[in-house]
Amino acid sequence: MAEQYGFFVDSTRCIKCYACEVACQQWHGIKADTVHRRTVQEECTGTFPDVKRRFTSLSCMHCESPLCVASCPQGAISKREEDGLVVVDKAKCTGDKTCATACPFDVPEFIELEGGGVVMDKCDGCLSLSREADEMPRCVNTCPTKALHFGKLADMAALAKEKGGSQLEGGTVPSVYVAYDA
Amino acid sequence: MGLNLTRRRFFEGAAALGALALVSGCAPKALEEEKEQQSQAQQDEVIDIDALEVKYSWCYMCGSCKTICATKNYVKDGKFAFVEGNPEAGNNWGYGCKTLCAKGNTAMQTVYDPTRIEYPMKRVGEKGEGKFERCTWDEALEGLAARLLENREKYGPWTYAALSPQGGSTVNSVGRRFLNVYGSPNYLHSAICQEQITSSRYITLGTSANPYPVQLTKTKLLVNWGVNGENADVNNTNDRANPVRRFDAMEEGLEFIDIRPMLDPLAAHAAEWVPVRPGTDLALALAILNVLVEEDLYDHEFCETWCNGFDKFADHVKQFPPSWAAPITGISEEQITRISQKIGTVKPMGLMYGNSAGDQSNDGNWLCCCINMIAAITGNLDVPGGGGAGMKMPEALFEVGKIKTLKDRLPVYDEDTENGWAASRSKLVAPEFPRWYQNPDDEALDLWPKEPSSAYNGGLQSILTEKPYPLKSVFAHNTNPLSQTRQPQIIAEALKKLDLFYVMDTHWNPSCNYADYVFPACTRYEASAQIGTRNMEEGTFICIEQQVVEPLGESRSDWQFYCDLAVKMGWEADFWDGDFDGCLREQLEGSGFELEELREKGYVFVERTDGAKASEPEYQNYEKLFKGLPNGKVQLYNELIGGKPNNREDGELTFLPEYVGPPEGLSETPELADEYPLIFTDVHAHRLSVHSYFSSLPYLRERNRKPWVKINPATAKKYGIEDGDWMRIESPHGWIKMVAEYFEGISPEVIMGKRGWWQECEELGEPGYDCFDGGSEVNALYDATVENFDPFHAGMAKQTLVKISKLEGGE
Repeated sequence: MAEQYGFFVDSTRCIKCYACEVACQQWHGIKADTVHRRTVQEECTGTFPDVKRRFTSLSCMHCESPLCVASCPQGAISKREEDGLVVVDKAKCTGDKTCATACPFDVPEFIELEGGGVVMDKCDGCLSLSREADEMPRCVNTCPTKALHFGKLADMAALAKEKGGSQLEGGTVPSVYVAYDA
Repeated sequence: MGLNLTRRRFFEGAAALGALALVSGCAPKALEEEKEQQSQAQQDEVIDIDALEVKYSWCYMCGSCKTICATKNYVKDGKFAFVEGNPEAGNNWGYGCKTLCAKGNTAMQTVYDPTRIEYPMKRVGEKGEGKFERCTWDEALEGLAARLLENREKYGPWTYAALSPQGGSTVNSVGRRFLNVYGSPNYLHSAICQEQITSSRYITLGTSANPYPVQLTKTKLLVNWGVNGENADVNNTNDRANPVRRFDAMEEGLEFIDIRPMLDPLAAHAAEWVPVRPGTDLALALAILNVLVEEDLYDHEFCETWCNGFDKFADHVKQFPPSWAAPITGISEEQITRISQKIGTVKPMGLMYGNSAGDQSNDGNWLCCCINMIAAITGNLDVPGGGGAGMKMPEALFEVGKIKTLKDRLPVYDEDTENGWAASRSKLVAPEFPRWYQNPDDEALDLWPKEPSSAYNGGLQSILTEKPYPLKSVFAHNTNPLSQTRQPQIIAEALKKLDLFYVMDTHWNPSCNYADYVFPACTRYEASAQIGTRNMEEGTFICIEQQVVEPLGESRSDWQFYCDLAVKMGWEADFWDGDFDGCLREQLEGSGFELEELREKGYVFVERTDGAKASEPEYQNYEKLFKGLPNGKVQLYNELIGGKPNNREDGELTFLPEYVGPPEGLSETPELADEYPLIFTDVHAHRLSVHSYFSSLPYLRERNRKPWVKINPATAKKYGIEDGDWMRIESPHGWIKMVAEYFEGISPEVIMGKRGWWQECEELGEPGYDCFDGGSEVNALYDATVENFDPFHAGMAKQTLVKISKLEGGE
């Protein structure tokens, strides 16, 4: 593989504004209340008035060792040579949901097809929007607070380090770094 | 333009790292063939964005006529398909920025909303009954013009009023022009506005000084008081402490204190959260002033030289120690003292205060005045990183004119002249600000507003009370009076009694049922009627909205409507011969741009080539800053308003701040609190709606599905209310139903909802909810006693006491 790309989610700057979620929906023509390729997850801890809220905008982690790729009986999921993004070939997908069971992050979701059946859906790094290698995915482009970053994973690691962040943990080695308020 | 439908770039080089090879060939042959046939339909269509047709515009999603974020809109197969920020417009953080908020990303859904109005309608049943018939534009406009002219003749021109929508540039420009030509001063302004909180600053610091830190990266402490940056200013470049700038400054060491009842997402990043009881903010402000004075944390030199009546002020605030404020505000003495000490010692410090704090409480004016005083006495005015003192931008490379409102057309009555009032101020039906204050000729102060206004709520109540006289003709333009202001049931009674009521909106808002005529408005993306500019270091930007798609049905532009009606009134000479393009040409005069050329291009960015950069301003020029104020000083003891008639003319304004508090409050009305033990309030703005609008849009409604109310789990459990249960919420003024959302970031004594649930969302099968008792409109709960409203700027309380219970079958 040439070089792995991934995200740095700077939660020290996230205000749960939902712009990333909706940008993803509009640009990929995804109807409301169906699948969500990116979601801002919240963790709220403590009791009033000592309450902490943490927001984390997450999509497919484009893992180094993606279990979805390994598990798909149809070979519908692959990891790209040039940037390590994990993509699904919907023509090969039979909707058997093996990938959903394999993925430790519950990323794969399933769109109902006209005439029955489902097909897996997840973040494609905006490749279907003809994104060039040096361009940003739509969620990053729209983020009003500069909380989302995308690029070579080594660069994401460097940005995360400045904020005291770290790589998301997991046996699949997610290509995502996250930083939180101290 | 064509599309590039190849899958080439998507799968080229997806040369499967191991795993693919490992499992390929496992699928049965028949299945593979079947899949091959389906593949075209199933595969994500690969879109070449660069090949799509692009139209430029200003975003519509913060209000129908704002020019804050310029957008690049993509048309695919004849439909408005995608939107992003125009990088040359200097949106949000500046040149190159493509960001938009969640609402901005939803823009397309406003155009294709199935609940939009398509045709002019005239009422055929009783008012409120909802029986209407489609009619032609000509019939509706001619019928309306005849009745407006008749009412003017019969009752006088002042009996016509226009309701202001949020950020109402249309009504406040071409709508003003219509009012002025008609001869009425009654622009019915919401009194829930930046105008209220800014006017309080003007009467304290003058029009040029500011507590708001404008060079935020130099600021050490920011006090965020009732400002909903994550809701109202997500992508708004006009807010110099909007979230992106605030985070940039925090990386340089800025800390902020967040004073708001709820731990909203931005507050979650604050150094300290101060969950003040809704509506008691003035008590907190007075206690902070008390600590600053008592603990000698004020700037002596500044106070002696530049503050009016410091000694009287200092004596006054000695009455309000933290021990007095704690039981009122619900904030401990210890926390009040701690934040006051921080405010008094960390420099430079700036304060920003928002609508929720200052314009939606009965003593909002004094609250805002006090916040300004905090900045002043701590010596934080007009210093780098403190309040005001922004960098000076190099001059714009061109300018565009404003729409002329023909304000000299307002008649001058004897009563105006005798009292020294400006034209027609004697005819204001419910002066929003005192008549004497509504004086555009006060050169020293250069006060806002420049043009007259009455209060929206008080003006509509005049129809029922007939005091001082009943309005006869009212236009609701992109506003739903049953969700906009307090007590929808009173407002509905007024609309029933009103002689002539007409509405223009994109949607059938609940007030339409009371209208004589309803006119269909198109969205911004279906017209080309607004020009905006922005000046930056990099250059100057101009954009006119380009028509992205054809208007739905017979809907028309809000701007053109006034021209069309004016023609039927016989006023074409005053309204560009009935063509709004004439107004656009007038705005462009002297700018160097021709309308047709600009419309063809959509936008032009003129690059700055002289190398000029933003420069440091002059600092601490207090003589100049305060010159319009009495004695040329900050009005701690306010001689500008003190001793002068209030806006109701039933008393005088005071010289020093006086705490009033909410009309129903835990410490204000303890006897009422026995029956109604919880405080109810609502978020002023929300990032998934624009005021009461947009619950019809699937992307937004999906995230705001049910009329929610945030409740502390401890409180909910006491009443047997589970997360997600419908609740009955009853105040002394009415009752509504909302869905409980458990949240620890709110005090157990407060519950907080969101207003505006009248729109249904067809796609998600979610209904709209009524604005009256038993519905979900928060305004049904609040006090609407005109005598309780703020005596200077007419602010209305949005806090009350409630009792709650679980509601079975709430849906």
